[in-house]
Amino acid sequence: MPKPHNPSSETFTLHLTPKIPIPEYLCGEVQSKLAYVDEGILSARVESNRISLVLRAHPGPRTPKLEAKVHRVVASMAQGAIKPKVQILEDYLHRSVPYSQDPMEELQKRGEVFAEASGTYTLGPLLTQLIAYFESLFHSLAHQFQAVAYRFPVLISAEFLERVKYFSAFPHSLSFVTHLREDLEIIDGFSQQAHCEDHSLQVPHDMFARVKTLLSPAVCYHLYFSLADKPVPRGRVVATAVGNCFRYEAINLNSLERLWNFTMREIIFVGDKDFVLDNREAARRIMEEKFEALGLAYRVESANDPFFIGEFRKQAAFQSAFQLKYEIRARLPFKERTLAVGSYNYHQDFFGRHLNITLPNGEAAHTGCVAFGLERMAFAFLAQFGFDKNQWPSEVKEFCS
Amino acid sequence: MTQNDQQLMRSIRELFAVSFQVPLEEIYEDLAFGDIPQWDSMGHMEIMMRLEEQFGIEINAETISTLVNIPAIYDYLKKDKHA
Repeated sequence: MPKPHNPSSETFTLHLTPKIPIPEYLCGEVQSKLAYVDEGILSARVESNRISLVLRAHPGPRTPKLEAKVHRVVASMAQGAIKPKVQILEDYLHRSVPYSQDPMEELQKRGEVFAEASGTYTLGPLLTQLIAYFESLFHSLAHQFQAVAYRFPVLISAEFLERVKYFSAFPHSLSFVTHLREDLEIIDGFSQQAHCEDHSLQVPHDMFARVKTLLSPAVCYHLYFSLADKPVPRGRVVATAVGNCFRYEAINLNSLERLWNFTMREIIFVGDKDFVLDNREAARRIMEEKFEALGLAYRVESANDPFFIGEFRKQAAFQSAFQLKYEIRARLPFKERTLAVGSYNYHQDFFGRHLNITLPNGEAAHTGCVAFGLERMAFAFLAQFGFDKNQWPSEVKEFCS
Repeated sequence: MTQNDQQLMRSIRELFAVSFQVPLEEIYEDLAFGDIPQWDSMGHMEIMMRLEEQFGIEINAETISTLVNIPAIYDYLKKDKHA
């Protein structure tokens, strides 16, 4: 039975005991998934033997159903979970940095961030300059691999996402695109009725056309789609692109740390297994030198993608076992936690097989990418170096002057 | 191959056939990860979990990445039996 108590008259806190203990290493992952359990959940806290949910209001007769959904998430993720093999490739987390405040307050004071909607920010000149600086670093990395520059659309085809199994792996984070149906009465009706209430557009859903496109969740997918159903020219491709990405994170959306709409720079490798793995490793070593010159406090460690509950247990264990993903986690001194600002990824021949991208010998191509979140990079930099440019590394100071 | 070895190989192939819902004849003795669409990342972890259940063993993260074909699984289980 839940043990209710009321911290305020407007919210209600529900405490649950999980039916099976949640391993420590899974608490954060389970907590992030509880955001998608019920629209009434405002926040969630997960410990091994206790789950606390802050709800908009007492769920009343819906309580058993809500509890059952929470237990389903826990069972799906924790039952038979395989402990990940944590591998640390670089550890510079304890480098001395000159700043320890949360930069968000100062950014707001300076008008450097404007929240247009949940998880969607307009960035001011300082952040824009910092992002341009980091872009210059990543451009130089791309140049060392003679990466060919591409421009990819913000929209992405539903059919292609289905081919790469995105709907079963990450359904919770999808962002859909539609438009009014091509019908004069509907368009007229919309123009007369459309209005916003509680931040939402109030119109009948049947005015909207079927969804054929979504907002792109990643950059490299577009390259793989363009290579689908044919042999890779000369057996290998190295490309680079920057693009807007969209991953809906519900109540997990949080300042510049977790955006719905963010920007990623990627350097993408397509070829045989050794080509992809060697380049991923070479890119990591180059970035290690660049981050050292910058004095960034960070660690590179094994990680997994945020798969949804149905696939989480197996896919996360698979990524861990095969060392497919390493994250660059920058230190946030103000909360003594880390933030993933980039990743080194190897997809094996997953995209090659599902998209029929072939090598000259007829085998499926292997793919990998190195990816950097530009807003997070700038945020982590400010969290470590602050706003006094005299405290900044000289290279950044000169670039931004 | 002794009779016991043959039985072990057959058990492994049957486990694959049941997990992937394909006829036993399609599970060759040298089948490897990616040879059939069902043996993808999800399929691989399904096999690992069923092996643990059926053979009463615990497969750690290091070993999961080495059991990428039936001969490797066969050798691993045979070694485990003799351990």
